[in-house]
Amino acid sequence: MRADRVRMLRRIVSAIRAVAGMPDYDAYVAHFRRCHPERPVPSERLFYDQFVESRYGDGPTRCC
Amino acid sequence: MLLKLAWLVLGLGGAGAWGVLALHRGETISAAWLVLAAVGTYLVAFRFYSRFLADRVFGLNDRRATPAERLANGRDFVPTTRWVLFGHHFAAIAGAGPLVGPVLAAQFGYLPGTIWIVFGVVLAGAVQDFIILFGSMRRDGKSLGQMAKEETGAVTGVLAMLAVLAIMVILLAVLALVVVNALKDSPWGVFTILCTIPIAVLMGFWMKVWRPGRTLEASGVGVVLLMASLVGGRYVAESATLAPLFTWSAPTLAYAVIAYGFIASVLPVWMLLCPRDYLSTFMKIGTILLLAFGILLVMPPLRMPAITRFVDGTGPVFAGKLFPFAFITIACGAISGFHALVASGTTPKMLIRESDARLIGYGGMLMESFVAVMAMCAAALLDPGIYFAINAPLATLGGTAASAAEVIRGWGFTVTPEQITGLAREVGEQSLLGRAGGAPSLAVGMAHILSGAFGRSLMPLWYHFAIMFEALFILTTVDTGTRVGRFMLQEVVGHVWEPLGRTSWYPSTILASAAVVGGWGYFLVQGVTDPLGGINSLWPLFGISNQLLAAVALCVGTTILIKAGKARYAGVTLGPLAWVLLVTLTAGWQKVFADDPRLGFLAHAAQVTQQLAAGAIEPARAARLVFNDRLDAVVALAFMLVTVLVVAASAREWVLVLTRRKPATVKEAPFVETAYAG
Repeated sequence: MRADRVRMLRRIVSAIRAVAGMPDYDAYVAHFRRCHPERPVPSERLFYDQFVESRYGDGPTRCC
Repeated sequence: MLLKLAWLVLGLGGAGAWGVLALHRGETISAAWLVLAAVGTYLVAFRFYSRFLADRVFGLNDRRATPAERLANGRDFVPTTRWVLFGHHFAAIAGAGPLVGPVLAAQFGYLPGTIWIVFGVVLAGAVQDFIILFGSMRRDGKSLGQMAKEETGAVTGVLAMLAVLAIMVILLAVLALVVVNALKDSPWGVFTILCTIPIAVLMGFWMKVWRPGRTLEASGVGVVLLMASLVGGRYVAESATLAPLFTWSAPTLAYAVIAYGFIASVLPVWMLLCPRDYLSTFMKIGTILLLAFGILLVMPPLRMPAITRFVDGTGPVFAGKLFPFAFITIACGAISGFHALVASGTTPKMLIRESDARLIGYGGMLMESFVAVMAMCAAALLDPGIYFAINAPLATLGGTAASAAEVIRGWGFTVTPEQITGLAREVGEQSLLGRAGGAPSLAVGMAHILSGAFGRSLMPLWYHFAIMFEALFILTTVDTGTRVGRFMLQEVVGHVWEPLGRTSWYPSTILASAAVVGGWGYFLVQGVTDPLGGINSLWPLFGISNQLLAAVALCVGTTILIKAGKARYAGVTLGPLAWVLLVTLTAGWQKVFADDPRLGFLAHAAQVTQQLAAGAIEPARAARLVFNDRLDAVVALAFMLVTVLVVAASAREWVLVLTRRKPATVKEAPFVETAYAG
């Protein structure tokens, strides 16, 4: 029951973050383990840095 | 059967609301009718027209894997559920445009603007967003410029990119001008907006250094601090020692915004730009929901006439007749070329299923149009006299409430000087006269709605909340826009001398940032010192440029359709393209060559020259005004020329394909079957 609620809350939080354009670190870790099992998983700090760089690196993300 | 009945009721409801709008001329009606007519039309259009586009015209196929699935990397190619992506896409496309444009266009009355907002979006704006999102999704998330290059040739690609850069300059200038007009001589507003900078930096350190990636925590803290600074602004405005410190004139504010834009563009993104972006995204979505709720709760009566006498082109807010200027002025709420950049940016990389593009591309734009309808309601619920007191240029109104009331009575609207000063006092400002740009009248309208819904005594707080909310995301557009402009410029000059193209090389970064900031800064200062109030010349220029970009996007869309062998459906983009071209080229031509000095740039230059000859104006000022007029004329002509070239190049391509002199093949990514369970 409690675990359900925690899971629900995490889903809501990650949805709100996604609206602002921020991808989910846990999902990234899952993806990374699946596709690159031989490499060490980047830390959350590194993940955030790379995301910020790529997000604002090219093309407009905001409109008039 | 039941479902069909529901759609019938919905359609009739919308049509009925339009009927009420059409028949109740000359009497006050409730804003609810406007909202009902709009929503009814949206739902019917979404159900039928967008389905036709999705199934027949584009042939969306859920068995085809999207880029988010094929290229998943957990960072930008991330499969995202559709309602979350809808929110994300909407937050990215909605900005100040749909809020400011309708407020300015309310000069013609609420009806012409509303009709264009609603039918324009259904037939043109949402189609453009949808087709570009579709095209980009089928091409691994390529940008509009890349698609133009691949489908219609390198020249078109370069032209499209130049157009984007030039439009960016005008866009940033006019948005910054809106902020300057809203904040001038307003210590409360200036204090609150200044506070957003340290708040954003604090959030930046929070997310980067202290608690990496904790976006929500930091944003929560940011929003709380923002509200505190909003409340604190009142004490600043009432304090005899602090108020003068934060009372800035328009030119001072203009230079401050320019300096801010430059600093934000060269600082690391995580420190200022990214946290501000989060803050403004959450504020934007929250406030728009609040406004929608407020309108439904209060259902304010619309005091503005359905159609005013200013359709003849004599309006004080901006010059020009209903056709074409209502369409130019509404801008983003009905069709916005800029969306083509977002729809070919982050969103196509996040779609899980092809069919989701319908809700997100078409539906997202309907939502933006709904924001424009709400802005129209907020402007039209004001007394027309008050509306014109806020939006007409100071030079027309004279400096005092008494002179303004006199002038406005001359236009046939009743207003007393006491009403004008009383309203300013009510929202906690010294004066609201001559604050063209839409933000203040929208804020007064929003303050009416929100204080009506949540308590009258909070009126000044709601007014400054609305000002802060607009200034916050306009400045976010200014800093992200400057940065994007800087990257584009670096890419262009990188072809000339390679080191200048390195975006991480500091000298190049500083030079390119200074060039972009200098570009829009020049137009901003020009607007601030313009005797007619800069909105009069800059907003139409922005409207024209934005819709010309839409014409470029619709050309790319048409090319995609024709090359995919769907020429029989090309009308869905050719129709809007023809209309947008007609409107913008007429407006551009009039802005340059019209005989009326209020409307035509060249006529205004001639008028200034005459005044100079008569000794009525000092030579230095005259020279500057004449130069600015000619510059604006050249800019308008350049926009028109670039667009005509793009259309001509595209048309040539269409003819070649249709006459089978060129193979009808599109450069789509190959089909891959999805691994998701059907």
